[in-house]
Amino acid sequence: MTGRRVAVTSPQTRLAHARRRYRGPWRPTTLDPAEMPRAIALYRSGRSRAVSALAALGALVFGLPFVLWLWPALDEVRVADVPVSWAAIVLVPFPAMVTVAFWQLRRAEQAERELLDADTGVGGGADRGADNAETASFGSFDRTSGSGNSTGEGAS
Amino acid sequence: MIVALAVAPVVLVTMLIGLRGVAAMRTTSDFLVASRRVSPLLNSAAVSGEYLSAASFLGVAGLVVKDGIGSLWYPVGFTAGYIAMLALVAAPMRRSGALTVPDFAEARLGSAALRRLAAVVVLVIGVLYLVPQFRTAGLVLSVVTETPYWVGVVLAGGVVSATLALGGMRAATYVQAFQFVFKLVLFIVPAMWLLIQAGPEVRTDAVQPSEFTHFSHDTTVTFRVGATLDVPPGAEVIDREDGPRELRPGAWEVPPGTTVTFADGTPVPEVRGEAVPGADGWERPLLDFDDEGYPLLGTWAVLIATMLGTMGLPHVIMRFHTSPDGRAARRTAAFTVALLSVFYLFPGIYGVLGRVLVPHLYLTGATDSAVVALPAQVDDGTAGTVFTGLLTAGAFAAFLATSLGLLLVVSGAISHDLVPGGLRQLRLAVVGAAAVIVLLALPAATFDAGTLVTWGFTVAASTFCPLLVLGIWWRRLTAAGALSGVAAGLVSTIGSFLLNVAGPDLHGWVAILVAQPAPWTVPLAFVTMVVVSRLGRPAPWATAAMLRLHLHEHRLSPFVSRTQSDGAARDLGHSSWPARRSSAVRRITRRLGR
Repeated sequence: MTGRRVAVTSPQTRLAHARRRYRGPWRPTTLDPAEMPRAIALYRSGRSRAVSALAALGALVFGLPFVLWLWPALDEVRVADVPVSWAAIVLVPFPAMVTVAFWQLRRAEQAERELLDADTGVGGGADRGADNAETASFGSFDRTSGSGNSTGEGAS
Repeated sequence: MIVALAVAPVVLVTMLIGLRGVAAMRTTSDFLVASRRVSPLLNSAAVSGEYLSAASFLGVAGLVVKDGIGSLWYPVGFTAGYIAMLALVAAPMRRSGALTVPDFAEARLGSAALRRLAAVVVLVIGVLYLVPQFRTAGLVLSVVTETPYWVGVVLAGGVVSATLALGGMRAATYVQAFQFVFKLVLFIVPAMWLLIQAGPEVRTDAVQPSEFTHFSHDTTVTFRVGATLDVPPGAEVIDREDGPRELRPGAWEVPPGTTVTFADGTPVPEVRGEAVPGADGWERPLLDFDDEGYPLLGTWAVLIATMLGTMGLPHVIMRFHTSPDGRAARRTAAFTVALLSVFYLFPGIYGVLGRVLVPHLYLTGATDSAVVALPAQVDDGTAGTVFTGLLTAGAFAAFLATSLGLLLVVSGAISHDLVPGGLRQLRLAVVGAAAVIVLLALPAATFDAGTLVTWGFTVAASTFCPLLVLGIWWRRLTAAGALSGVAAGLVSTIGSFLLNVAGPDLHGWVAILVAQPAPWTVPLAFVTMVVVSRLGRPAPWATAAMLRLHLHEHRLSPFVSRTQSDGAARDLGHSSWPARRSSAVRRITRRLGR
């Protein structure tokens, strides 16, 4: 561990990298029909979750100016000498947005985990702990074997 | 001198961290997306570090001084954009495997023309966003150190292009993550110090807005850019030799480079076409542009532009590609919302203090420099100088971090999308692009940074936002639809800007919709895309291409899952290729339509 990182490539790779790059002919993305139902389920759950998160965000971001416009009297009300309407555009949106963000993140990850559990659970009938172990092992398998993205990579 | 001592470490550390990234750099992917190995927390710090530009560090407080409390809606829009990104774009975009937005457009829709158009849009956004960064770097350095404007611009250009040309995205990631922490500390600590040091009188004044009508002490104002002032009767200036003399009432053309000292207690001249800080309406928490009487429309227009624009900013999207997978990209977006929310609690403090302590900046139009001008007003001793130095260092870090990311996408658009080439060409493109931006920034000293940045957001909102949202969530999008939608968004926004700069004097809601065109250009782009796509037919593989974006990476290997989950009903284990025929895919996806 000297900390210094050295490029280790074969002479061919170095030549290929130095050369002008040609992109191959473009090929359409393929999707294995066996994975299609899962993709459709994920697409649908993702869409409904995104719509509800965006509705909450829109209500907050467009509703708050409307409320402040509707009740100009809020400028006169003071808490600890600061007008309520001034505090409202700093102290309300930011905590609310952090809440919405983590709520959306949790739901999205839960949806993917549920599908993954469903996949692993059907064949074995194993208990939940084993499921998680299996999931985790596949997770690490994927991570070590590359970015796990086989088809999309070819398009770039 | 102390300011030079503050800026030098920022520059040096940036270069040093940049050099760390050089050794492991071999391919275009290394250069553009740090080989996709950046953890969510580091990445979200880098995203925030890159995103907190001069517009956030200095601009928001300056806008509060100039336009009023309503300017605090800008940061709300900046942050809200990441929630939209989290919900709609982050994970599918990362799963597309594309390196840049033009790459994504080609992978999803298979059109080389769309790729080139998207690359042009990246260049437009990059220039609109980079020029004000370099301009503010030059301006802030000239305000605090008395160096000429061009020195700061050239210095910023040199440091950014050197770091990037050597280290690429890997270097940029570490630099930006470091600079986020740096900026956060350098923003919060001086804010607290200012609040405590300012004393109870200033604090009370800060929350009791009153119009800036009389100078409260002898005030020296330096006009770097010429201005036209309306001088009221009784205004006095103090000449260095002759002592006080009264100004002639009426219009006064101040030539650039003049230094004027206004006497204590005399009335304040007015700037043509600008509202005075603290005037009626300043305290309203809405954005009433030019007092046209449509505060709600103005506020919503800014929110639409900043929120949807964030989703389409190419340098932010590029950052999500450095995540190892879609899940990490999503986490990055959520963490970013939290980090930005902490930072954006503070610009308001600088803004309200700035209105009390440095309202005269509005005479020169340099309210941008309110943040760095504040410490000297509160404490004229060493402490004030030290805090000025710290804030300048933070501001400089802000330009560097943002410019790094932007320059990267601009050179990526040139050298990866328009004229594909290897790593050496990419490095040359970085240096070339930086040189062009420096040349563009040199005559741009008079431009308002906030305006240019908001225009960048508006272009992104009306081009890339519809392209990404429909590309990811609507399977009927066609290449022709995407092309015409992006073109419609680009042409309408640029036309609106030109009309605003060179066109006739407009009033009422029309003026607001010309200056802030997002409320109509974004729907226009969406509608064009949908209508033109409906007229044509999507390619047979379009549904598969869209669904592929939603499939998560950490699924089971296809060979295991088939035998387990599908049982004996379908034996796909031998050869998957017949089943991958597009006809089979179509048969299964037909279900979606029902």
